Amino acid sequence: MRKFSVLVLILTLALFSAACSSNNASSTDKSGKTKSDKEITIVIDQNFITLDPHNAGDTVSIYGIRSMYEGLVGFDKDMSIVPALAESYEISKDGLTYTFKLREGVTFHDGEPFNADAVKANYDRIMDDANNLSAKRSLKFVDSMDIIGDYEVAFKLKEPFSAMINKFGMVPMISPKAIEEGTKYIEANPVGTGTFKFVEWKQGKTLEVEKYADYWGGDQTNVEKVKFSPVPENGSRVAMLKTGEADFVYPMPQQNVKEFKNSKDATIEETPSTIVRYVSINTFKDPYKDLKVRQAMNLAVDKKAYIQVVKNGFGHVLDSTMAPETQYYAKQKSYEFNVKKAKELLKEAGFENGFESEIWGNTSSESVKGMEFIKQQLAQIGIDVTIKSMEEGTLSDEIYTPEKPEDAKVQMWYVSWSPSSGDADGATRGLFSSEYFPPNGANTAYYDNDKVSNWIKEANASADPKEQEKIYNDIQRTVYQDAPWIFLASDVNLAGHSNNLEGVYVAPDGVINISKAQMK
Amino acid sequence: MWQYIVKRLVSLIPLLLVVSFIVFMFIHIIPGDPARLLAGKDATAEEVEMARASLGLDKPLYEQYFVYLKDTLTGDMGYSVKSGAAVSELIGDRILPTLGLTFLSIIWALVVGILIGVISAVFRNKWLDHLGMFIAVSGISLPNFWVGLVLIQLFSVQLGIFPTGGAEGWKSYIMPSFALGAGIMAMIARFTRSSLVESMKQDYIRMGRAKGLGSRQIIFGHGLKNSLIPVVTVAGLQFGFLLGGSVVVETVFSFPGLGTLLIDSIQFRDYPVVQAEILLFAFQFIVVNMIIDIAYSYLNPKIRYE
Repeated sequence: MRKFSVLVLILTLALFSAACSSNNASSTDKSGKTKSDKEITIVIDQNFITLDPHNAGDTVSIYGIRSMYEGLVGFDKDMSIVPALAESYEISKDGLTYTFKLREGVTFHDGEPFNADAVKANYDRIMDDANNLSAKRSLKFVDSMDIIGDYEVAFKLKEPFSAMINKFGMVPMISPKAIEEGTKYIEANPVGTGTFKFVEWKQGKTLEVEKYADYWGGDQTNVEKVKFSPVPENGSRVAMLKTGEADFVYPMPQQNVKEFKNSKDATIEETPSTIVRYVSINTFKDPYKDLKVRQAMNLAVDKKAYIQVVKNGFGHVLDSTMAPETQYYAKQKSYEFNVKKAKELLKEAGFENGFESEIWGNTSSESVKGMEFIKQQLAQIGIDVTIKSMEEGTLSDEIYTPEKPEDAKVQMWYVSWSPSSGDADGATRGLFSSEYFPPNGANTAYYDNDKVSNWIKEANASADPKEQEKIYNDIQRTVYQDAPWIFLASDVNLAGHSNNLEGVYVAPDGVINISKAQMK
Repeated sequence: MWQYIVKRLVSLIPLLLVVSFIVFMFIHIIPGDPARLLAGKDATAEEVEMARASLGLDKPLYEQYFVYLKDTLTGDMGYSVKSGAAVSELIGDRILPTLGLTFLSIIWALVVGILIGVISAVFRNKWLDHLGMFIAVSGISLPNFWVGLVLIQLFSVQLGIFPTGGAEGWKSYIMPSFALGAGIMAMIARFTRSSLVESMKQDYIRMGRAKGLGSRQIIFGHGLKNSLIPVVTVAGLQFGFLLGGSVVVETVFSFPGLGTLLIDSIQFRDYPVVQAEILLFAFQFIVVNMIIDIAYSYLNPKIRYE
């Protein structure tokens, strides 16, 4: 037994000395990290799922990828389309041919030249069914691709598609040499043309990229190395910005913003987002079939109070079917909070004493808070709402599996949406066309208006931006008046950065852009 | 003894088969559809079906189970639905940090817990006992995520001694292992105390005193050893739990362990990852239990296994 007590003693001593030595070792740097001045750490809330640029669907993977890759066109700070690997493009009058003039003198990170053959190699990879890549959906309207010259390519469409140019922005170009190596290679060894090139990715831990010296656009950044680090816990991300372990933090939790008000070290940036928050109302069911009921529900909810209570004051009243940063957005006259008028409308619809209702949503604390807010607001006009919050996978099953509208049990769904490439089609077709009822799409309001469904088709068939704009104007006006949703708010993106760092921003689609990062 | 161990290991096989069957059925029967989650929110029915076929989920359930069983037996755990990465790689990346964290937590919890327990028992109803039990009660009642956040605020934000999270270098293990071990330490302290108090009333202790043994020898040589059986049981079970990874502490310290991987996988209905992880936990738990049983026979020679 003496041995045992000696062991205890040694272990105790070891623990003590560990605790003490840690004190000495790190008293030198507050953040507990060693890094050069030109190295930055970007802290985000989720893991990257994949680095295959043709197979990424989630926002986090997309910005990891866009730090190293570029497409023929790209997105600007406000989601407008800008030239990238293509110097310019032309769309034929019938909207069926897209001709790109490619930039000359561009090299991939592995030294391969970028040219028409490289575009072709990427196109072939995506369109090959055996590869089963999600990017194929971006190009589903494309019929064929032709090489016109070394630096000129043309895509032929099966039918006109208004958002096609945005979709080209969703297709990054991979080095043809990497494509030859196959998908496993591409996943582990990203080779693009971006301002940063790949260093290392540890699944579930960090992604490191470093400056690409031969970038075609010249010297865009003075940052040598960028490390993306996923930290899911809100409080920990905030702490990392305070300790200096993080140079850029996104998303910044709303409730922590005021802690940085007087900070000398860090600044919080608020930028617009394309995410819209709403309650989709099942217009196929009684009593929601009645337009007056849906309008009354919209009038009964105080959106400004919603933003204060649920979103901590961060957001804008949703005054259309899409957020202001979305293509062809048109502001509508929003439903002003008016309980008296709402009651009158309900009375006209024959529900003077209100009715019982149910709202569904996921289990996140913000969703629960949002649903409680809706319940409390609708109670003002006699609608008695039961809240049912469900785990995400179960909820998705309940919403998307009913084969026919009459089988759907959902009455109201508290949810959000953002179009993946900031285009009006992505913010409209899947949500409001009667061809996209579940399980075929996300029209969970079962909104059925022939006029709108036809307009959506017409907008796609038109190649004229002026005409498209007019059609989307009509669509937004009509849908907003028909109120298949309770229109709540559009989000803002909140990000925090150390005051030494400039040029990193969050675009409206939630994608972090680091291509012009500058350290002071 | 060796015979016993071999027998126990052989009995693992049917147990793991049953576990694999139950896990497989449960995860496939609960609502949620990886094909839809993979295809994305704006996918059409056709695209969802394509995703389902590519995952092999369109086949009958029993067929899927046999494919899974065959692959598992040949050491192929499959690929993650969500990321396409090999499941063996995903788990391999995270098992070492989790093991490290588990060992650190258990070791400090055992050392400090037994120490407090012994002190409390020896100075029963004195202020040292009250202090010890106060620490123990605090350890049990303070939620570990809260302890974690307080540690971050204090040692990372204010003092800058430890990094806020991650698993790079030994420094990043200190705070999470403290937060994880606090509750276990407290439990061990309580068990040690009550068990030792009980032992000290036994005849052989009185005998020892009559023989003129020093009190240190009596406590550590006779009393403590005989009091350790409940302590080993508690520590062993907690050890088994910790091997599964702690979701809460891993999240607070953004620690890349098995717990968060499991939660992520369940949310995404990432069937291959969930199945592999649960099978691994079951295996670990059974092995830990076996080690506890063997430890009993060392602590109390009356317990013998054939």
